[in-house]
Amino acid sequence: MTSRRGFIKAGGLALFGISLGGIPGFLADAVAGTVAPGLFKKKKIMVCIFQRGAMDGLMAVTPFTDQYLKAVRPNLFMSAAQGGKEKSLIDLDGRFGLHPSMSAFEPMFREKRMAIVHGIGSPNNTRSHFDAQDFMESGTPFNKGTASGWLNRAVGLLGHEAATPLQAVSLTSSLPRSFYGDNPAVAISNLADFNIQLRGNQAGANMASKSFEDLYDQTSSSLLKNTGKESFDAIKLLQKTNVKDYKPEYNAVYPTSALGNSLKQIAQLIKMDVGMEVAFAESGGWDTHFNQGTDTGIFARNVNDLSNSIMAFWTDMGKYQDEVTVMTMTEFGRTVAQNGTGGTDHGRGSCNFILGNSVNGGMVHGLMNPLAKENLEDGRDLAVTTDFRAVFSEVADKHLGIHNDKVLFPDWSGKQIGVMKGV
Amino acid sequence: MKKNIHNFYICCIAFVCALVLSSFVRTSQQKEQIFLPYKKAGLTEQQAAAHLLSRFTYGAKEGDIELVTKMGLEKWLKQQLEGNLEDTALNRMLDKFDAINLTNTEVENVFPRNAQVVRFAVRDGYIHKDSVNKANGKEYRATLANYMKEKGIKPQQELYRQFINQKILRATYTNNQLKELMTDFWFNHFNVALSKNQCASYIPAYERDVIRPNVFGDFENLLLSTAKSPAMLMYLDNFSSTGTNIPVNEYGEDMMMTGQQKRKGKFAAQVAKAKIPQIKNKKSGLNENYAREVMELHTLGVDGGYTQSDVTQAARILTGWTIAPMGDNGYGAPMKKIMESAGDDKLKKRGFVHDGDFLFVMNRHDNGEKTVLGQKFPAGGGYEEGVALLEMLAHHTSTAKFISKKIATRFVSDNPPQSLIDKMAKTFLSSNGNIKSVLITMVSAPEFWSPNALREKTKSPFEFAISAVRSLDAKITQPYQLYTWINKMGQQMYYYQAPTGFPDRGQYWINTGSLLNRMNFGLALASQRIPGVTFNLAAMNNNHEPESAEAALLIYSKKIMPERKLDETIARLKPMLNDPNLEGNVAKAASQTAPPQQQNTMANEDANIMEQSADKAKLKGKKALLNSTPNQKAGTNTMLAQVVGVIIGSPEFQRK
Repeated sequence: MTSRRGFIKAGGLALFGISLGGIPGFLADAVAGTVAPGLFKKKKIMVCIFQRGAMDGLMAVTPFTDQYLKAVRPNLFMSAAQGGKEKSLIDLDGRFGLHPSMSAFEPMFREKRMAIVHGIGSPNNTRSHFDAQDFMESGTPFNKGTASGWLNRAVGLLGHEAATPLQAVSLTSSLPRSFYGDNPAVAISNLADFNIQLRGNQAGANMASKSFEDLYDQTSSSLLKNTGKESFDAIKLLQKTNVKDYKPEYNAVYPTSALGNSLKQIAQLIKMDVGMEVAFAESGGWDTHFNQGTDTGIFARNVNDLSNSIMAFWTDMGKYQDEVTVMTMTEFGRTVAQNGTGGTDHGRGSCNFILGNSVNGGMVHGLMNPLAKENLEDGRDLAVTTDFRAVFSEVADKHLGIHNDKVLFPDWSGKQIGVMKGV
Repeated sequence: MKKNIHNFYICCIAFVCALVLSSFVRTSQQKEQIFLPYKKAGLTEQQAAAHLLSRFTYGAKEGDIELVTKMGLEKWLKQQLEGNLEDTALNRMLDKFDAINLTNTEVENVFPRNAQVVRFAVRDGYIHKDSVNKANGKEYRATLANYMKEKGIKPQQELYRQFINQKILRATYTNNQLKELMTDFWFNHFNVALSKNQCASYIPAYERDVIRPNVFGDFENLLLSTAKSPAMLMYLDNFSSTGTNIPVNEYGEDMMMTGQQKRKGKFAAQVAKAKIPQIKNKKSGLNENYAREVMELHTLGVDGGYTQSDVTQAARILTGWTIAPMGDNGYGAPMKKIMESAGDDKLKKRGFVHDGDFLFVMNRHDNGEKTVLGQKFPAGGGYEEGVALLEMLAHHTSTAKFISKKIATRFVSDNPPQSLIDKMAKTFLSSNGNIKSVLITMVSAPEFWSPNALREKTKSPFEFAISAVRSLDAKITQPYQLYTWINKMGQQMYYYQAPTGFPDRGQYWINTGSLLNRMNFGLALASQRIPGVTFNLAAMNNNHEPESAEAALLIYSKKIMPERKLDETIARLKPMLNDPNLEGNVAKAASQTAPPQQQNTMANEDANIMEQSADKAKLKGKKALLNSTPNQKAGTNTMLAQVVGVIIGSPEFQRK
């Protein structure tokens, strides 16, 4: 509650007609110096992308010298050697090759802004999408009953009052498990929706909006009153710019996919300076049991969308790049061997990507033993050698300054692995 | 002749039994004489009725307060606690839904998972395995659709749609409102989620057969039925939990066996060799998920005084509790034949328990000794020790407190007074955990009627939407449209991922995004822009058109929010309504066509449905434009809708 009040204190109550489309009261206050100047200083932003369905990390970033992998994936294995009839892998370091449809990532890796962690996953060996996502998002791989999500706890650990109702925003239709909890967090699937609406009746909507603002201002329930104020202040924040006609900068072109659309809106929120510090988006279609494809096909399309969406976002960030770190995650990896239908089944370790100027990039972190049967988990899967919490906590620590791992990941006491540059 | 006399005697005996039984029922009812101490709290009968209705129904319908006061509050409550009023109109609506009455086995056969459908289609040679996910999507989809039609297979989404629709219709229209509220409460307490694919198809039967029939009964029945239900066994993974089963004679008990038992033992060994109930066991081992949550969330509460060791030991007790094979293609299908050939009798002799969809698999059960909460469970307890464990948990003092607090939180306030919880917990313990008795204790307590409790609860998005629809006496032909809105407002019904269920406190429901959507819902509903939800605002006022906007506000706010203090709401809204430009604005607004921005507002969300509705809304808009010049009447109707929309979106209507 204190965090909410922080916003109200700062917010003031501008009259609807005047402030609609104008400068929200508290920004004016900030400009006038009546509010502590630190309060609206641009904050660091962590953008998390959940790849639901379990990405085949071995196809995204392939240990292409591994003969075992080549043998058990006769139809899926790609080579880094040039000149074949299909596109070859992008050789990153002589051992690992990036899928050709992710070529957008290559410059970032070469410039050491992008890190890859291979063999990342959960210590809980469940191969159920639901359970594994649940555990990864709650951040407690052996406890189903954890009520909150790790990103919500992260918000609580930011160490300052929420200056805005938009501190944590998920670009999804409902709140993801990662966002469950007591700290303010919002799910918005479309920024243009964030207003009082009356289809085909703008005048009516405006009138209703004023009525609502007045009604919520007078109500005796402090919860409804405060949240009502927050809502109308948030509307005003979002109305500062025309969210519908957003023009990406630096010639960034977002794919017209769900992820591209989400990241575009995250970029808008960042540029609007609404005080967002944690953003969340989703990417789907990774459960590739059937005909996964190689340089073309479903997997290639997915990684193409993932990398192009992230790179459009990164380009669009331009001068904000120092403030932003992007991290992908997926619930588990897929079987080392291909299955009978040209795909892969549920496995264990996968890989993830971290992009940002303070990332310890240009290398594939983590440990991957040669893929021999005796080195595989349960004789079939890439072993999990890095606990996802080691990576998540390090990014949260180095980028957002969240040091309290006991709260962020209560049952975890491992070590960070150096995916971020030391501060 | 003799036979007739015999029958006559049987009838007599039955009659006498019935008499005796009914007298018992009567005395037990007399025991439950209800007295509601609202007068002491300073409430009028009308105010008390309004409070009762707002807590024990999904919102008062017009005339409900008069109805309840006329009948007597106590009598009304008793009826609700019986929960067996006729529901003819509702049942007629539900008749349309052919999937919601299917057994789990039937569901498995008719609604296999999408991936399964593809597998079957490949197996049956309808589609070639290489064509899956290949370029010609259209042809592929047509083949698959044709295959499904031929085999009588339906898409799972249809099952969930019907399931969601039935909940919305029941909540809106059932006469047994409290029973429906309690169904919601207990479902949420023993939460399972459609988002977990593996258990999703069992959930309609779970609510219907496991939750709803037990909502007013003894808590232990609920606990045991949920523990044995496929939905819960799958959701919290107990179905896979396996322990080491040491054959009985290795315990050195051989000496004590009779000859017959020895023979049985020999038979058992043969059965085991023949792999009769060796359920395929990919990941053998103990799974503690259910054992932990049954203590933390279902019974004792997180501070209920159990340790990690209790969790592990309880998990060992519950090893072998799993789901019986069902369906020809569904869960455990390969097992089904083997089990059938073994026969239930033989399985029973081996200590197996086959009860509907539940199966206790003796050879996956850890039959060593365990201790939970200081209670010893001797070796070889089999299925019965699990039942004993659950009964012990159900009657524990921590459980009495935990459940009482949760019920009080649901029905009284987000922070119910300890004195009330104590009273309820006392009843819980003295009544064998009888939920009806606990509820009666709650409403008989002054705390229930205290001014601190009135309007203190915030409606959940589901309650909010249903109460709005009920207050307008709306006709719902497309319940799923409401589901989409309820989801937008922050409550994706049946999809709450964590076993905790939705939190029950206003702060969870009210946040920036959700509050805005509540206001928008009010406006959309009142202006009849939610497809498939219709009502007649004028009829609510005997087709009498309010003289002015102000009159509309006075009349309709009293109808929608009876027995509430509305002076402040009305005072705040008056200036807006008295704006001399109002008529003109409204008329202008009514003649406007939809601005282009509105078209993409629903992008990404339930694309199909919303597109349809957008199209329909556009059509409606055009029709309205054709039919009416912005005359006085059209203007007033739009204005009336707007007033009603603001009332529904107002802070006062968010409370209950």
